[in-house]
Amino acid sequence: MLDVNTYRDAMAKCSHCGLCQATCPVYLEDFLQTHLARARVDLIRAVLVEGTLPVTKRFREVLDRCLLCTNCSRTCPAGIPVDEIVAAARNRVYQGKRRDPIRRQLLRRFMHQRGMKGLMGMAGSVAHKMGWTPEELPAPASRSFEKRTKGRVPAKGKARAKVAYFVGCATNTLYPDTGKAVVHVLAHNDIEVLIPKGQVCCGMPALAEGDLTLVQEMMRKNVPILADCDVDAIVTDCTSCGMMFRAKAAKALPADDPLRPQAEALAAKVWEVTDYLNQVGLIAEPPPLSESYTYHIPCHRGWTRTVDDAPRRLLAGIPEAQLVELEYPDKCCGAGGTFFMDFKELAADIRSRKLADIRQTGAQTVLTQCPACRSFLRTQLGCDRVTHPIVVLAKAYGL
Amino acid sequence: MKGLAKDLARRVARERVKTDPEDLFAYGGDATYYVKRGNPDAVVLPENTEEVSEVMKYAFRHAIPVTPRGAGSGLSGGCTPLHGGIVLDMKRMGRILDINRRNMSGRVEAGVVLADFHKAVKKQGLFYPPNPQSMNVCTLGGNVATRACGPHGVKYGATGDYLMGLEVVLPDGSVIAPGGLAARSSAGYDLTHLFAGSEGTLGVITKVNLRLLALPPAHRTAVVACESIEQAGDTVSEILAGGTLPAMIEFIPQMAIVAMNNYITPPLITEGQAYLLIDLDGTQDEIKAQTGHILGICRRMGVLDIRVVEDEKEAQTYWTARSNLGAMLLTVMKKAINEDVAVPRERIPEFVREIQRMASTLSKVVLGIGGHAGDGNMHPSIFFPEVNSEAENEAQATIRKVVRLGLSLGGTVSGEHGIGFHKAEFLHWELGEIQIRLLKRIKKAFDPKGIMNPGKLWKDGRAAPCSM
Repeated sequence: MLDVNTYRDAMAKCSHCGLCQATCPVYLEDFLQTHLARARVDLIRAVLVEGTLPVTKRFREVLDRCLLCTNCSRTCPAGIPVDEIVAAARNRVYQGKRRDPIRRQLLRRFMHQRGMKGLMGMAGSVAHKMGWTPEELPAPASRSFEKRTKGRVPAKGKARAKVAYFVGCATNTLYPDTGKAVVHVLAHNDIEVLIPKGQVCCGMPALAEGDLTLVQEMMRKNVPILADCDVDAIVTDCTSCGMMFRAKAAKALPADDPLRPQAEALAAKVWEVTDYLNQVGLIAEPPPLSESYTYHIPCHRGWTRTVDDAPRRLLAGIPEAQLVELEYPDKCCGAGGTFFMDFKELAADIRSRKLADIRQTGAQTVLTQCPACRSFLRTQLGCDRVTHPIVVLAKAYGL
Repeated sequence: MKGLAKDLARRVARERVKTDPEDLFAYGGDATYYVKRGNPDAVVLPENTEEVSEVMKYAFRHAIPVTPRGAGSGLSGGCTPLHGGIVLDMKRMGRILDINRRNMSGRVEAGVVLADFHKAVKKQGLFYPPNPQSMNVCTLGGNVATRACGPHGVKYGATGDYLMGLEVVLPDGSVIAPGGLAARSSAGYDLTHLFAGSEGTLGVITKVNLRLLALPPAHRTAVVACESIEQAGDTVSEILAGGTLPAMIEFIPQMAIVAMNNYITPPLITEGQAYLLIDLDGTQDEIKAQTGHILGICRRMGVLDIRVVEDEKEAQTYWTARSNLGAMLLTVMKKAINEDVAVPRERIPEFVREIQRMASTLSKVVLGIGGHAGDGNMHPSIFFPEVNSEAENEAQATIRKVVRLGLSLGGTVSGEHGIGFHKAEFLHWELGEIQIRLLKRIKKAFDPKGIMNPGKLWKDGRAAPCSM
């Protein structure tokens, strides 16, 4: 992922079949071939590998107008990692300077400090109160998850497994309810939970910025901390954090980096929490919960085969809980990390299709394992109508 | 070309006229990019027939080449703008205008995606059979322009068999609507079907009227393992001649079964030289009778194994595995070229044998074959373990040999992909000089200035007007 040149062979695999048109959320709004993986990859090759076209404002726009949602890669018969190619191209073109210095500094501080601590926290709260932040960003929680829950949460009965919990930034600062549900549901099912100290952001926002130096900074903090834990698995509630550790982290490090073997070993142990619970099975049978749900599958799901179905299986185990399927459960909501801030109209257009689909189900609550989707959908649906599936299980247990 | 952009922006909203080099580059062609790509001078994304007409009037006046395109998923270079000019991207004309259950017909704009149409039609208990494997992206306008088909061809025929009427913008901007929504018509020359397979060389298809069928209530899948290619060919002939018409019969070579077994539980036996993947459709009673018939024939033919998959969901895994074959191969190969030579059904074994012999002589590329056995519509495919000029040369030479072989067996150069520029030379081989001249005269009647998709169907392409 370091260098766009390393993707020469992958780019050459594009047969130009155009099947990426079926799932690219941006293309399905713009209907412009230039904004399709097939052309993006071609352009990146022409501009950055072969040098037959110059770097222009339009080329940068083509690079930027990508959600990195991975839908094209999952549709691609050759499995071309388009998101990585775009990230590598951003890295080459912007060299870590995609934003102005102030915003870059803010992002770096945010990622290192896992959100809102000290001055950053105060600044964040003030900005939110003043209406300076996008409406899609909810107010930061009064106390972050890490402040509420620290160290170790013992299993309720005899521990049958021990997991480390990687707490994503969004859960930590915006949705501590998810974090609370994760640790309590796991403990309730006789799984001991460690919350390793010193975690920082998984690095995904830096990857999207094409700032590989910053991604590596995150890796250098997170990987040793998680690798040191003597646990059966590492769980996260966020599909993007999961994808980062499982599918991207090792690749973001140079081939001879001493941290790379650790990152590779770590990858195999990473699970999204509902996926993990399905694998190990619930010990405690959930009591009935008479509510209706629909399920929006986050785009960053290709890193495991089962994560997309996991919430469905969990819900099926809760008596009286009703799942009303979306017509297009796997279509993107338009959030794409911070994409919705850069391309407001486009993101809102993508979202409007998702909202129409959601409304048609008549379900009370939308479930999704991605905090960005949650934030982006909640402003239109109401705060309490979008949540993480693990929260439903916690509710059924009365936790 | 600033003047061109300005002129076009007067006819179509500015934001739907693209002239940045990056946009022009993106519209260089389709899945035949490896042979040739073109660079248009402008890309226009019209939203209605009037806009298309305005663009055509302008192009006609200034004799600017126009290349219409749908999804650009073609395998013959039909939408490659070989002579620059204007590319008309029809994807924004993507409305399903009507699905009429009482008339069993549908009316759509040219840019409607086939799979979306399938879905909409199915919601009303109806069925539109053509199913090229690019159905998730290809457009109905493109399907008409190439006479696309797919595995359903054996029972249900190709796009042309469902075409009732069209709306077309002619090169001078005038709009015609040949055909209509009546099931039959004997009103003079059949202009509607002349546009089927015209590949954008006669005008721009803007709307399509299509015949629909009732949705078959049930399906059943069967897999037959044959000890030889001849036995597979004979089995297909016996099944069809015996009166059972499966919705799909796919021919799958042994090497592909090994890959497909990754998806299938329990795995299929691998001793067969050739396999038939069959889909039966109809009412439960019809399917039961068809299954009995096929089992009887297969036993009589002494096939190695036959598996009937009762569960429709499980059956889907077989078809998914079939669709993913190319994908599975692309994970180990660097590139693939898919051809579509069709031969008379009885010549399939001969065709396959000769292809396999040919394959054994190759050193830089791999030649494989599968296809729609029911109608002889075969897909020889060339895979590149490495992409280099030697491999390209061997691939191109092989394609020529495969086409000559198909023609020598009484076949055609294209069963369903169309000619584009990629097979323009081969069309000469198949049709001969007299027919080609006739085609050129038809072309000239529609397109006197030769502006519509020049460079396609025959080699001298653009020369249509001056060669007369």
